[in-house]
Amino acid sequence: MIPIEHYVVLSALLFVIGGVGFLVRRNVLVALMSIEVMLNAANLAFVAYNRSHLARGVAHTYEGASHTGQVLAFFIIAAEAAEVAVGLAIVLAMYRLRRTVRSDEADLLRN
Amino acid sequence: MLQLFPARDYALIAVILGMPLLGAFVNGVWGKRLGDRAVKLMALSAVGISFAASIVAFAALADVVRGEKDAHVKLSWTAWEWMHTTAGRTGTSIPVDVKFSIDQLSGVMMLIVTGVGFLIHLYATSYMEKDKGFARFFAYMNLFIFSMLVLILGDNLPVLFVGWEGVGLCSYLLIGFWFENGANAAAGKKAFIANRVGDFGLLCAMFLLAWYAGALDWNGIANGASSLVVPGDAARIHVWPLGGGQYTGALSFLQPGYFQSHHTPLLQSIMPAAAVTVSPATAVGLALLLGCTGKSAQIPLYVWLPDAMAGPTPVSALIHAATMVTAGVYLICRLSFVFVLSPFVMVTIAVVGVATALLAASIAVVQNDIKKVLAYSTVSQLGFMFLGVGVGAFVAGFFHVFTHAFFKACLFLGAGSVIHAMHARIHDDDAAQDIRNMGGLRRWLPLTHWTFAAATAAIIGLPLTSGFFSKDEILYRAYVDRTVNPLAGSTAVRGHGVYAPPEWIGHALYWAAVAAAAMTAFYMCRLYILTFWGSFRGWTVGRPSLLAREEVAHDGHGSDNLSTPGYPPHESPWQMTVPLIILAAFSVFAGALLNPGFVKVEKPMDHWLDPVFKAATEGAVIVREASEWTVGLGGIGAFLVGTLLAWWVYIEKKGAPAESAKASAPGLYKLVLEKWRVDELYDATIIAGVDSLAETSAAVDRGIVDGILARLTALLVAAAGTVLRAFQNGVVQVYAATMVVGLACLGWFFTVPHAKATVTDAGNDDYLVTAAPGVGYAYRWDADGDGKPDKPDFGTQGALKVHVPPGTTSLVTFEVKNAFGFVKAKKLTVTRPQAPVSSL
Repeated sequence: MIPIEHYVVLSALLFVIGGVGFLVRRNVLVALMSIEVMLNAANLAFVAYNRSHLARGVAHTYEGASHTGQVLAFFIIAAEAAEVAVGLAIVLAMYRLRRTVRSDEADLLRN
Repeated sequence: MLQLFPARDYALIAVILGMPLLGAFVNGVWGKRLGDRAVKLMALSAVGISFAASIVAFAALADVVRGEKDAHVKLSWTAWEWMHTTAGRTGTSIPVDVKFSIDQLSGVMMLIVTGVGFLIHLYATSYMEKDKGFARFFAYMNLFIFSMLVLILGDNLPVLFVGWEGVGLCSYLLIGFWFENGANAAAGKKAFIANRVGDFGLLCAMFLLAWYAGALDWNGIANGASSLVVPGDAARIHVWPLGGGQYTGALSFLQPGYFQSHHTPLLQSIMPAAAVTVSPATAVGLALLLGCTGKSAQIPLYVWLPDAMAGPTPVSALIHAATMVTAGVYLICRLSFVFVLSPFVMVTIAVVGVATALLAASIAVVQNDIKKVLAYSTVSQLGFMFLGVGVGAFVAGFFHVFTHAFFKACLFLGAGSVIHAMHARIHDDDAAQDIRNMGGLRRWLPLTHWTFAAATAAIIGLPLTSGFFSKDEILYRAYVDRTVNPLAGSTAVRGHGVYAPPEWIGHALYWAAVAAAAMTAFYMCRLYILTFWGSFRGWTVGRPSLLAREEVAHDGHGSDNLSTPGYPPHESPWQMTVPLIILAAFSVFAGALLNPGFVKVEKPMDHWLDPVFKAATEGAVIVREASEWTVGLGGIGAFLVGTLLAWWVYIEKKGAPAESAKASAPGLYKLVLEKWRVDELYDATIIAGVDSLAETSAAVDRGIVDGILARLTALLVAAAGTVLRAFQNGVVQVYAATMVVGLACLGWFFTVPHAKATVTDAGNDDYLVTAAPGVGYAYRWDADGDGKPDKPDFGTQGALKVHVPPGTTSLVTFEVKNAFGFVKAKKLTVTRPQAPVSSL
């Protein structure tokens, strides 16, 4: 069995990649994808910890909590889907209005 | 009639009041669409029905008076209950109802207002015919009649005050009726503001009456009037020091006698040495008097009335001669039982009246505008009325109101007819009113001439006309001086010395009034002669060709070419002459209602009004015995002197003496022509003072409120905005990065343990040291101060009790370890101070 540390390190790496990607890229589509990466990093951590706790019997200490991590991952996926739907709609609308998908050019509310 | 309308619920008053209000409403709202004929019909029928109802009500009142053996009776009607207020020294509940009543006094006044009002409305339908504000004019006029009736018929002071303000409003609206001309609008404003000063007095009087007499309706005030003169210092009103307080420190100059010990002779002579108190009766009387001087155009507030002639002439006749300006006299008559309680106030009224009569008469002598002369004449005649009521001759004073309403309305309407005629020849408002451009008008205006002559005869006191009787009665009463009322004069009742007017005051009032009467005779004859006698001087005056044809208000005549004589003046239509004839007849014959004493016939008017003034005049003492024959000679002498002088100057010598007098004293002439420069005096003192106060306030507003409070605050916010705006740069990634930084800070905050503690006294010389809680925190204590933990392991114990006797100190150290294993230590020094040594 792969130790929990591997999952955690991978999750942290994914999160940092997503975060840095969000911070440095100006393309809104890329920024959205970076957010996906960060959310999936969280998903990975949830699922890994849940499985690890199950293996160690920690998750059985109180009733109904044994698959909380897995279930939460599904919730996050659902939220992601909604977020992407809204986000892409915004990007499309923005493109129609401003002919750009660069976030630093969408600065109407600046100052 | 009384079965239908019982005296206690005389609902016919609703008709008397309601019709003019309805007329004002209809003409005010739909006037423009109704057309002039309908407006005319509405306005005339409103006042006409009101007049008819007034006659019915008056007849009913006369019936009741006969039945009640000449007692003071009332027909009253309560519209609704207005409010209740609990006030007064006794804490009584004061009901204020919208209640109206007709008694002998208000009945006569009501007949004057609706009767003369109807005639003037009829006159105005012709006079205002071509005016584009026809409907508006009659809406205002009807509203005025309504307000005046509320003033007269109101059964308590607040209702009277509503009418009082209403007539002030209508007066303002009608003076400024032709508001396109700035001077007219300014005159309206002046009238309004001068009246507002008086209204302040009336309001103060109401508060004082509510407090001291515990009532605001006429019967209640009459019952409570005696409490205005109750003995004892507590009941008196402190004028100096203000409110009777004790002032020390910086305010000690308010203490009586302060200036006598400290300051210059000037201040010593001005400032009172001892406390100054007045009785409530005097305070109420003076406050009421201030209100009356405003409405009735007496010194010091008379300045608005001459300017009020800017309004249309029917307005001058109705409001500023016959009715509204007599409201002050009416109020004094109405509350006569309050005024007589204070001899000082009575003397003040008489002096104010006679001074106004003299001053206004002197100005009227030199004025050239026909309406200005009549305006000053009105002020002067109002002065006579004040003199009459001021010496306690309420019937005579009110009778002068009655006769004056007829002859002054007739004079003003006659003047309007003259102006109307002059306009045919001279299309200039000012030139058409200048008596220097008139003369010989009796040729063209026979009816106007004869009615004007009759009214002039009445005002100058031609024997056996109405003005002669009323003026003669006032002069007689001024001479015999009846101001002493036993209730007011009794030191036993007041517990204080009573103001006693000087002995000579009766003579002074009499001779001043005679002088004013002589001047009246002179200037009225001058006006009459210059207007109607001699030859017409208007052929060569005026510049009608300068006016555009359509601007000429007067249709059908008027030549634009000055080289040809043009149309002569012409007589007015019947709508204008019929009121003149009726008013002239009353001017001459109304005196029969108050026959002079020396004819020794019953005086119907005197008899009629006696019950109203019974409370005020009972026990009045005649100070000086004189026969009406001898005293009456003064009045007749004044008439003869004034008339003959005017005849000699303006007919015998064709005005030459007037010119030479003018030339010999040009400075004095100019001073009087400019109305003794009283307006300028007010401008320089009061108005300038108020202006500078306003400018100071404006400067404070601009500098402090706007400058510092508003602008500085705005500047601070704007500066903060400028700084914060830099952060809102529109780049999403920067916002995200800021969030990341914030999250990092939060993370750091939760990673590091926080060693904080609070110390509380637990009693028994113990202190309880409580460490701040936190998630996953564990604690290790060192209470004995040896530098080593008491227990080697961290535990959950978050608080520790330390024993610290008085005067000792204890060192407590504790360590906090959080879930990450980071440890932080905190040292506390706990000291209990030495208990203070007991004095036992």
